[in-house]
Amino acid sequence: MRAFRDRDLDWTTLSALLRAETAAGILGLRLFIACTAVAALMLGAVWMIGGGLSSALERNGYAILGGDAAITVVNQPLPDDLVGALRALPEVETISRVVELRSTARAGDARAPIELKAVDPAYPLYGAVGLADAASLSEALAMREGVAGAAVEPTLLSRLPVALGDRLRVGETTVEIRALLTAEPDRLSSGGFLVGPRVLIARQTLSGTELLAPGALADFRYRLRFADGAARAEALAAVRALTPSGGWELETPADAGDRVRRTVERTTTFLGLAGMAALAIGLAGAWAAATVWIGRRARTIALYRLSGATPALVIALHAAIIALAGALGLALGLGAAGATSLLLLDLVASRLHLPWAPADLIGPAALTAATLALGLIGAAIAALSAAARTPPGAAMRSGEAGLTPDPRHALIGLAGVGAALASAVVSLPYPGLAAGAAIGLVLAAGLLAAAGYALARLIAGRQPAGFISLLTVQGLSQPGAAAMKALAIGVGIAGVTAVLAAQSSLDRSLRAEIPEKAPDLVLIDVQPDQVAPLTERVERDPALAGLQADPFMRMTLLRVNDVPVEDALVRADKRWVIEGDRSFSWSEGPTEAELLAGAWWEAGYDGPPVVAPEEDVAQAFDLKPGDRVTYSVLGRPFTSEVVAIRKEYHRTFRPEYLMLASAEPFRDAPHSWIITLQGESDAAVDAFIEAASEIAPNVTAVDVRRIAAQVRQVIDGAALGSLAIAGVLLLAGALTLAAVTAADVDARRREALAFTLVGAARREIALARLSESLALGAIAAVIGGAAGLLGGWWVTQAALNIAWTPGLAAWAIPPILGLVAAISAGAAGGLSALPRGRGQVARHLAG
Amino acid sequence: MPDASKPAASKTAASRTAASKLEADAGSPVARLSDARLAYPSAEGEVEVLRGVDLEIAAGEILAVTGPSGSGKSSLIALIGGLERPTGGRVEVLGQDMGAADETTRTRLRRRDIGVVFQAYHLVPAMTALQNVALPLILAGVADARDQAAAMLERVGLGHRLSHRPTALSGGEQQRTAIARAFIAEPRLVLADEPTGNLDQETGAAISETMFDLCRSTGAAMLLVTHDPDLAGRCDRRLAIDAGRIKS
Repeated sequence: MRAFRDRDLDWTTLSALLRAETAAGILGLRLFIACTAVAALMLGAVWMIGGGLSSALERNGYAILGGDAAITVVNQPLPDDLVGALRALPEVETISRVVELRSTARAGDARAPIELKAVDPAYPLYGAVGLADAASLSEALAMREGVAGAAVEPTLLSRLPVALGDRLRVGETTVEIRALLTAEPDRLSSGGFLVGPRVLIARQTLSGTELLAPGALADFRYRLRFADGAARAEALAAVRALTPSGGWELETPADAGDRVRRTVERTTTFLGLAGMAALAIGLAGAWAAATVWIGRRARTIALYRLSGATPALVIALHAAIIALAGALGLALGLGAAGATSLLLLDLVASRLHLPWAPADLIGPAALTAATLALGLIGAAIAALSAAARTPPGAAMRSGEAGLTPDPRHALIGLAGVGAALASAVVSLPYPGLAAGAAIGLVLAAGLLAAAGYALARLIAGRQPAGFISLLTVQGLSQPGAAAMKALAIGVGIAGVTAVLAAQSSLDRSLRAEIPEKAPDLVLIDVQPDQVAPLTERVERDPALAGLQADPFMRMTLLRVNDVPVEDALVRADKRWVIEGDRSFSWSEGPTEAELLAGAWWEAGYDGPPVVAPEEDVAQAFDLKPGDRVTYSVLGRPFTSEVVAIRKEYHRTFRPEYLMLASAEPFRDAPHSWIITLQGESDAAVDAFIEAASEIAPNVTAVDVRRIAAQVRQVIDGAALGSLAIAGVLLLAGALTLAAVTAADVDARRREALAFTLVGAARREIALARLSESLALGAIAAVIGGAAGLLGGWWVTQAALNIAWTPGLAAWAIPPILGLVAAISAGAAGGLSALPRGRGQVARHLAG
Repeated sequence: MPDASKPAASKTAASRTAASKLEADAGSPVARLSDARLAYPSAEGEVEVLRGVDLEIAAGEILAVTGPSGSGKSSLIALIGGLERPTGGRVEVLGQDMGAADETTRTRLRRRDIGVVFQAYHLVPAMTALQNVALPLILAGVADARDQAAAMLERVGLGHRLSHRPTALSGGEQQRTAIARAFIAEPRLVLADEPTGNLDQETGAAISETMFDLCRSTGAAMLLVTHDPDLAGRCDRRLAIDAGRIKS
């Protein structure tokens, strides 16, 4: 007696059917796999790189800061009695003292700006210095035969004609290159802008350089290591209690590298917006591809049902195949994302001297997989719903077996896609920004679908006289299909346009300002008595121009209208103005700067100091003329009235001072000057650098031409990166369009055959299909393009804070992409729909 | 040249019928095949499906071709209908050498002078019965294409199904629609490939009766491929095809 299995879902049968189906291959789901892979690549790469860097910053907080807590003061060290008081705290076990300043290294006649760092034997308290050709840091920096040692970054060897073992002049002393510096654990605490390669020397060597003249631009850092068992909060409170009246910058590991962290977060969010676009487009494509696949299997499904398969078995079988295809797509996409992330992370982290671990990529990869899985499950439910509704009788009908999903399941599918987008939004560092982008995407998609739907409804029922117009109307008059096609083409156009518009704006805002406003040379650490001879040398040379000489000091903001700055801050994005010391200058009278509010003090004003802060400071605290700010200069607090607000000129390389004060009492305080100038030729600037080294050997010459070239390289790199992102979005859009078009291909083939039989020319069929897809392409170009431009504008305003200059490409790309998509879709339904080749028409007729 | 005698688009089907008949009365056959050959490429090499067919179809003649499956019947229709080019011999339809004619000429011939009916109907699923039938006239630029199509559908008994799409029609109704479409432009030659193959005997008989009636009233010649000996017996002449050759 035969044993029948009457259960709805029999696992043995399912397993056997699945083996048979997969043995035949899952190539029918190739578009589904490709759409999944592209979305996983884009989203995965963004999250892995962002997550990898964030984890590395978090894990290395102590090493980046250089201690459990760090105190920084500028211009002059902490008084000895204060250092003694810190040392006397029972919670403090060790203090490491480091001095950082910009200087010039000389080898023979060659000179190069350097970032000098003098460290004590306790350095580093956390992390390890990476050295090549030396056993230890202390050995490399030690005094040997009367000459001190130095560890230098390898790039110095390419800027000066020196090698390991050679000697350098730094200030008034000579050091010997004993090691190459390959990793500096606290590099990020030095800020992002370094004028030259790092040169590490011992603290006792620094005094011999005589670079620490009064007012010299030096950072004095005191890193504290707390005793084992000391309560961190209490230890910090004890340190904070010693804060001098002039203030200091006290940081904890949580603050370490926060500027870099913010950059990483902003970049991750910006790229994440593109990732979300790829996610949405990819999921739309996967949805369409799964629906097409199920549709093409309608007869097979009906035959399964006819053979006794229960709906549950059919659903389980197809769900398993889609799951396998989804897993393959995810594996391919995440594999490519992982490889890209490893390469880029290695590049970025090595430049930041930031140790990172490949294991940090596992979390973001899992998050990407989970996010995409949510969306894919939604798409699969909608597609499988149609399979569940296929009756066995469909196998007995000729032609295609129409499949319609349950509208409730389509809603569940939409919910899945929505959940995937929501997961992406909450996972990005700036969820508000990401949510705005997601809402924009959903609105654009809804508008596109509604426009396609409305067009179909508008023309349905019309009976044009001509064949081409009749076919166009017939092709466009299915609301669901028209909506899906408009959406598929338009979302891709919107994504690419937004990226190009934002990139063009960023590119122009950076590139356009550099050549016009940047000086060619900046001299720093110019002593007051050196200003006159240097400016005279500039004025004598007709090939030099644009001279600007300003006093340059540092200040720390303490209070605004007697409220501590932490509490007075009203703009979180301007928090940087209270982080550490900021630029400060004084002026005898009005300067050429544009005023946004208030008025200058008169030339020769000698009363109590009044200030004209830059607009960033005003925005940070909502300052107006008449308010009072308290700030610390050279360790001494001053309270001044705000008399004017100055306009800020971003990205000019010209010295900009966050705070400008009247001359008294700063005129006589120990400080240095900064001189900037421009030259008609490189030779004139080079000649002046030579002359300046004679007039003022201590002065550091920062060659802005080289820095500007580096910035241009970065801009070019960013442009390439954006093009790559746009390319991925384009690919996702093309795959989605292919998936949507594939839904029609079989029906269009049958129709083309019928038209041929009644005497329609291939050209007429192609023209009709082209005019149909041109109508949808035009809708997609107009709405998708408008959405993209709007999205790009929003990104420039909300995320990048730059001027809106989308460029010709952003305006041109929507119609171009609309046309290309229309021609591709038209060709698929027209020219290529008719079988070509000897015997093909007869073969299809017989079928 | 056949096109020279073709009516302007604005002319009615009736006036075109008169012109066609004048030419048919001139005595030349509507189709003549001399040693016609057709081979299809395949992975195993060329497969010759028609191996030297000699055949003439006179104007207004109804010719039956019978033969087993795979004997080349459908290929014969594809060849005469200009859907495939002969790989050997000569195929002349309404004075046009189909081997030498370009695609435009063959398309125009199909549009104006050849009607085709297949077992699988080959209707456009997205169009109504009226639109399907009107297609040849729409392609020819006839102004009252829909009115004529409605009249033709009325004639084949589908006056009440004008706005139905093929999926809403029975097999017999779909085939009637396909026949109406084949005859709407009053062609001089109708090619019918197993038109009753999918239908029950009663419906099949009604369908074939309609086709014979239309042929007689329009003066069109018809090549009817069929397995049905009774249907073949009702034709003016009967030929058998086997392994790509005409046997009798």
